[in-house]
Amino acid sequence: MSRISNAANSMAKLDELARQDTWLNRIHPLAKLIVTLLYLVLAVSWKPRQLTGILGMALYPFLLFEIGGLSFKGALYRLRIVLPVVCLVGILNPFFDREPVLTVFGITLTGGVLTMLSLMVKGILTVLASYLLIASTPVESVCGALSMLHIPGILVTEFLLICRYVSVLLDEADRMTQAYALRAPGQKGIARIAWGSMIGQLLLRSMDRAGALYQSMCMRGFQGEKPLFHMKRFRSCDLLYLVIWSAVLILLRVFPVLELVGRLFV
Amino acid sequence: MSHIHIDIADLSFAYEKGSQILDQLTVSFHEHDAVGIIGANGAGKSTFLKLIVGLETAQAGSIRIEEIPVEKKTLPKIREKIGYVFQDSETQLFMTTVREDVAFAPRNYSLPEDEVARRVAHALDLVHITHLADKPVHKLSGGEKKLASIATILSMTPDILLMDEPSIALDPRNRKNLISILNEFDHLKLIASHDLDLIWDTCNRVILMDQGRIAADGLTEEILRNEALLTAHGLELPLSLTNRMVTVQGPADKPPAKSPHRAP
Repeated sequence: MSRISNAANSMAKLDELARQDTWLNRIHPLAKLIVTLLYLVLAVSWKPRQLTGILGMALYPFLLFEIGGLSFKGALYRLRIVLPVVCLVGILNPFFDREPVLTVFGITLTGGVLTMLSLMVKGILTVLASYLLIASTPVESVCGALSMLHIPGILVTEFLLICRYVSVLLDEADRMTQAYALRAPGQKGIARIAWGSMIGQLLLRSMDRAGALYQSMCMRGFQGEKPLFHMKRFRSCDLLYLVIWSAVLILLRVFPVLELVGRLFV
Repeated sequence: MSHIHIDIADLSFAYEKGSQILDQLTVSFHEHDAVGIIGANGAGKSTFLKLIVGLETAQAGSIRIEEIPVEKKTLPKIREKIGYVFQDSETQLFMTTVREDVAFAPRNYSLPEDEVARRVAHALDLVHITHLADKPVHKLSGGEKKLASIATILSMTPDILLMDEPSIALDPRNRKNLISILNEFDHLKLIASHDLDLIWDTCNRVILMDQGRIAADGLTEEILRNEALLTAHGLELPLSLTNRMVTVQGPADKPPAKSPHRAP
């Protein structure tokens, strides 16, 4: 299977995952969206050198992976391209900030190393939290929740269409590379001479298909302004999920849990 | 109750200057017409349908649906009345599951959720794909996609049905099913197709197009039986009307094979 097919398949798998019938998937998208947004804000709000505090925030994604029945390994596999990029953020910090601030097991950590680690951890945790939302909520439901939060319709529509058109682009790219491979047996990849026309064709064909998709939406009452999503009722268990997780996250932010636990053993 | 009709006058359209796709078309369709639009490749059939629903804009002429002119500001109103099945069902379906896709139009028209559910169930039942309701769209076969795209339109309960090559990718049983769905649809329907047998089975009127003009407009019987007319415009008689009997020859019936190197 080609890399493009793999990417298209990964997207389809993620969507299937979001449509499973688990307790986490059944939680109202609005509750999950608010908790995720709160988590992102709180996780990012830690100061760069408060690594233990940030590590405490890992409780949310790891616990949710465990109790939500989602595979952590699967998440790491799907995020294998994003996570290294996230880890690159702050990689130059150790060169600029060389002031020693901490000694752990005899190893002196400089301010630069600490800020680099905290940026990495923040990045990884926020990506994992976003993944948890996407893996447990179909994209239409996320859009529906955004609409409920009164995010302007045009932005929600943009978000929805980007999600749709990414798969359109991948589909077209996959078809073109398959057609190319069938007429270029034994050749690895695409010859440089064909790159220009392939990319040009890909752009034109995906624009055509995206245009046709848009026409199809218009033919069924869509007017490009206010997307309509069917949202289920907000139940008391959804409220409970929202309240409990919000309380836990605020507590994790206010009290450096790992530090407190550590002090018990010192 | 409004009388459903489409009036088209002097309609001309070109994608590029100098290459006319439709040339001064004038035609009317009425409430119970079942019209087959036939013609060779590039005759302008799909463009004609797209102009009716406002997906393309004519350079000259007018289209009126129930006295409403097809123009930008009237499109939402017009599209509520018309169900349009695209030639390529890949582009008709855009939601993640069949059920969501079929529910898209009723929800967009702000129907209550129980009515949406009723319409979805009915549309899926009509095309016999109830078992596919929760299947992701990307996992459907070509024929299933076609049926699902027809269901997405039936859930709108349109007054006018426009179909562009509806029988493409359908197996014989589903094709037969499509014919019965089309025959049950009692309002105005326009079907653009190369499948002349489908047109024979579903339409009472045929418009033969050639190079953007109407070459013939009449009863299905008259046009589809007229071999000379069809041949002159790049078509052939429907298979069901041909008298040719295709028989499978057994080895004993076969004439002796001729040697490519015949002795002088």
